[in-house]
Amino acid sequence: MHYLVLERWSRGDSSFHRLDARVKIAALLLYLVAIATTHPFRWSAFAAFALLVLSGVIAARLPLGGMLLRAAAVLPFTATFAAISALAGDTDAAFRLLARSYASALGVLLLAASTTMPALLHAASSLGFPRILVLVLQFLYRYLFVVTDQAQRMRSAALCRGSALRRGAKRERFRAASGVLAVLFARSYEKAQGIERAMLARGFDGRIHLLSSPRLAWRDAAFLGLAASATLGLRFLLTISA
Amino acid sequence: MHIPDGFLSTPVWACAGVASVPGVAYFARKSRTALEDGQVPLMGVMGAFVFAAQMINFPVGVGTSGHLVGGALLAITLGPAAACVVMTAILTVQALLFQDGGVLALGANVFNMAIAGVVAGYLPYRYWGATRHRRLAIFCGGFLSVFVSACLAMSQLLLSGVPMPPAVAMLSLALFAVSAAMEGGITLAVAGALERLNPRWVQGSEKDARAGVGFILVTALLLASAGALLASALPDGLEHFAENVGIAGQAKAFLASPFADYEARFLQVEWLRKAVAGILGLGVVYAACLGLGKIAARRSGAARSV
Repeated sequence: MHYLVLERWSRGDSSFHRLDARVKIAALLLYLVAIATTHPFRWSAFAAFALLVLSGVIAARLPLGGMLLRAAAVLPFTATFAAISALAGDTDAAFRLLARSYASALGVLLLAASTTMPALLHAASSLGFPRILVLVLQFLYRYLFVVTDQAQRMRSAALCRGSALRRGAKRERFRAASGVLAVLFARSYEKAQGIERAMLARGFDGRIHLLSSPRLAWRDAAFLGLAASATLGLRFLLTISA
Repeated sequence: MHIPDGFLSTPVWACAGVASVPGVAYFARKSRTALEDGQVPLMGVMGAFVFAAQMINFPVGVGTSGHLVGGALLAITLGPAAACVVMTAILTVQALLFQDGGVLALGANVFNMAIAGVVAGYLPYRYWGATRHRRLAIFCGGFLSVFVSACLAMSQLLLSGVPMPPAVAMLSLALFAVSAAMEGGITLAVAGALERLNPRWVQGSEKDARAGVGFILVTALLLASAGALLASALPDGLEHFAENVGIAGQAKAFLASPFADYEARFLQVEWLRKAVAGILGLGVVYAACLGLGKIAARRSGAARSV
């Protein structure tokens, strides 16, 4: 499944992967703000920002084609609005929407593909996310695949019983689908209660303790300086040259 | 509707971020008791449930299918504060791992779906959950949660200057209403099935005497979101209306004198003018609701004294 790919990529071992997650988040935010505030956003701007992010992809030794394809997940939504803009006669706006959203998605993907989820969440909590939100995110990510697999199994079971064959009785199929969801809810609920008891038994006190907490090193600072000067420099050059 | 990065103008995403950070902080603080009650694993697993629920298709309409969005269902099972935190977590994971919604636009998406959507989905249940209109309340919750967040997202896009002919905006309003009705139906069906399995899974709601307040709040939310969309799609609509009715001449003379200078100076900025128009519109809607509420309260007071 496609989400497992990101999980595998994020466990890679390159100097880019080893950078502190907080520094990477800060660099991503700078990059996104630079894209959002560069006016006008033409081909040159798109090419410059894409090159910047692709150099990061190469530094992280991530598959280039896979990353470009994955980032295209943003395009269906964007293409709808771009088509409306183009039909309304504003092709510049259509290009701007496509280019900006694709370049931004590439940047987000670089962060997600080079940082493991636990590292990201730890960084989020040390950057001031509410503790309960970070905990919920942790549990959500841990059980996302478990519950999704459960839903998948229930769906195949329903298909085996011929749920797709009966095109007619819509009312019954609607009721059957709501029953499936209620059972999925019930199983998730029971699972959550079991998890809670197991964690309490292991002394869970509402905090996740890490064996080692990451410290900012010189290379993190150097990376942040490099990324900041590159993005901000690009932004000003592109604005001035326009 | 998850807004990706690159759509919103800087003032819009910045304002939405500024609005949603304290909102989420407030709900996170309110749901802090969940930490002591050991509800946190439940909240996380319910987030995963909402993700997985997207795989179960519901047959709706001719040959089309929809799936649960989940804001209202979370609100009536976990309570609004926990639901807001769970929705925020879902949106964060979607933005990071699934490229569904942007990171800079996360503030806007959280505001639309995790704050406004959850509150709108909970309000009807809060006020009519214990009356004989319970089923209607659950349906309205599902409807409102999707309709309000879609309208807000659309008006943010329009405020950001995403070009869109008014006809398309009107059409999308109709589409939002259809998908909102689908969510209402699905929420009602799933909540009903849940109650048959275990009634305790659905939050209890006491009979609230202030049903009038709920009505006003729901109407205000609906008017504010649909009105914001209309106002940003047709900025000239009000003027056109005024001209047709024939009050334009008088109104212009009345309005022109105090606003003339401002118009020349800072209302030249397009987004600022739209934002000011939107806020003024909201104020008008608020005042109208307040007036209606006063009248309704007086009526019911009179009925009680009789």
